[in-house]
Amino acid sequence: MTFSAILGAWIAAFLTLGIFSYLYKDNPFYKIAENVFVGVSAAYVAAISFWTQIYPNLFGRLFPKDGPLSFTGLEFDFNHEFNILYLFPLILGLMMLLSVFQQFNWMARWGIAYTVAIAAGLKAFGYLNSNVLNQVKASSVDLFSGSLPFFSLGGDSVFNNIVLLVGTISSLMYFYFSKEQTGNFGRFTRLGIYFLMVSFGASFGFAVMGRISLLIGRFNDLIDYSSADYNFATFYVLLFIIVVLGFWSFKNREK
Amino acid sequence: MKYLEDIILKLGAVDRRIIFLLIGLAVLIPLLTPISLPVRETPTTVKFYEGIDNIPKNSKVLVSFDYGPSTRPEIHPMNVGVLRHMLRNGHKIYISCLWPDGIYMALDALEEITDEVNPDNQSTFDIKEYEDYVLLGYRPGAEAVIKGLASDLRKVYTVDAKGRFIDDIEMMDEIKNLNDFAYIYSGSAGYPGTFEWVKYGGDPTGVPMSSGTTSVQVNEVIPYVQTGQLIGLLAGMPGAAEYEKLIDSPGIAIQGMAAQSFAHIVIVIFIVFGNLAFFIKQRRDRKY
Repeated sequence: MTFSAILGAWIAAFLTLGIFSYLYKDNPFYKIAENVFVGVSAAYVAAISFWTQIYPNLFGRLFPKDGPLSFTGLEFDFNHEFNILYLFPLILGLMMLLSVFQQFNWMARWGIAYTVAIAAGLKAFGYLNSNVLNQVKASSVDLFSGSLPFFSLGGDSVFNNIVLLVGTISSLMYFYFSKEQTGNFGRFTRLGIYFLMVSFGASFGFAVMGRISLLIGRFNDLIDYSSADYNFATFYVLLFIIVVLGFWSFKNREK
Repeated sequence: MKYLEDIILKLGAVDRRIIFLLIGLAVLIPLLTPISLPVRETPTTVKFYEGIDNIPKNSKVLVSFDYGPSTRPEIHPMNVGVLRHMLRNGHKIYISCLWPDGIYMALDALEEITDEVNPDNQSTFDIKEYEDYVLLGYRPGAEAVIKGLASDLRKVYTVDAKGRFIDDIEMMDEIKNLNDFAYIYSGSAGYPGTFEWVKYGGDPTGVPMSSGTTSVQVNEVIPYVQTGQLIGLLAGMPGAAEYEKLIDSPGIAIQGMAAQSFAHIVIVIFIVFGNLAFFIKQRRDRKY
């Protein structure tokens, strides 16, 4: 086992157990792990975005080898042709960075406005096509098909299609507020609430399952790091955190 | 009866740290002493398996690593399984990443597989870059990246993850955009991921696609399976375990299912006791 692998294991064990220590209560170990996570994530994304996107795709197109701007001394060879249009995102990007200066922060709004408009346009089309039209089309189910069995637990069946249709309409009707939800209409919308509750229950169940999966992942790593290959990193770090936390709690017992 | 109610009330008011500890033990013990529980395939996983199995042999497929270390336990076993399955069928794999740390997940998965024995011919996969796969790498921009790939891949990727010009890679010769792939797969942990691939990749181009997602996303993604926008779905760790069983490569997901089951039993028990305690307390507090 290389020294860097062992060091990595010790750091990973420390940060994992530091985060877990929050289950006891907020404490300095948790704060360290949280701040390291935020700082490293931000720096990593900034660096990788610059080197994989801005550098080859923006600078590479504005300052290509033997391009019209090569007199500036800036030349980036990525097999690109010079494209003046890329000046536009460069200026908008720089304007967004100016938000750090009070007197120029109005300039940032232009870049943000462009980004928001592009995102809204992109998302509107995507949602309409994939989430509205396709879903509406899929809810047009065949209730009287002779080719489908009446009941099937897993696959398509007439019964499942009826449940789908009633569930969709009753859930949508629950959000129709222009008519008082009383009488038969009220009973129908109440059915919609039950469908929604089943959906929320499923979401909760899946969320719990997801969190447990993540816990399994961390435990698997901690088990690996507790071996002699990693100089029993998990045990020593755990012991260290427990001792320091115990001492810290004792010193701050009034709080 | 009153004695029993008092016990339930005490259990309902137990310190949250005790619950954390019990859940921790319920997860840890099955991991330390592996217990084998049966894994039953669900229809969405079977559909997913068949979707990948039905891709014509030796096709070009796009695999997107849209997750990071935080969701690795759920998505990584799926992606490793998908790579195994695709390599067994002789597909050429093109790897993209919408998440910055996806590239390291991809490298880990490739490293894990290369020395494995392919059960179909009993030799190691021994995968080679630029012959079996191309690691295109990460590009920021989320849906804009997918839209770019759908129209012109070279506008998004001028170089691959190693900085080699895309035009100099032989495997990239016939690849212009998403339409040149036979299949798209996204191992997704959130935004950007499955939703974006469906909206801007699969739906507009008509290229068949499927996805493996975290459990948290399943409820929102599963309507895409019903509409046929996704060919099956791997739903969280259980989905990964079912898929491992279908491709006959038991791995970390199957090992984790016992811990998953025990943790759920503990949670269900506490939900039941919490609710009973709530109703008992409500009845006792009633004055009239």
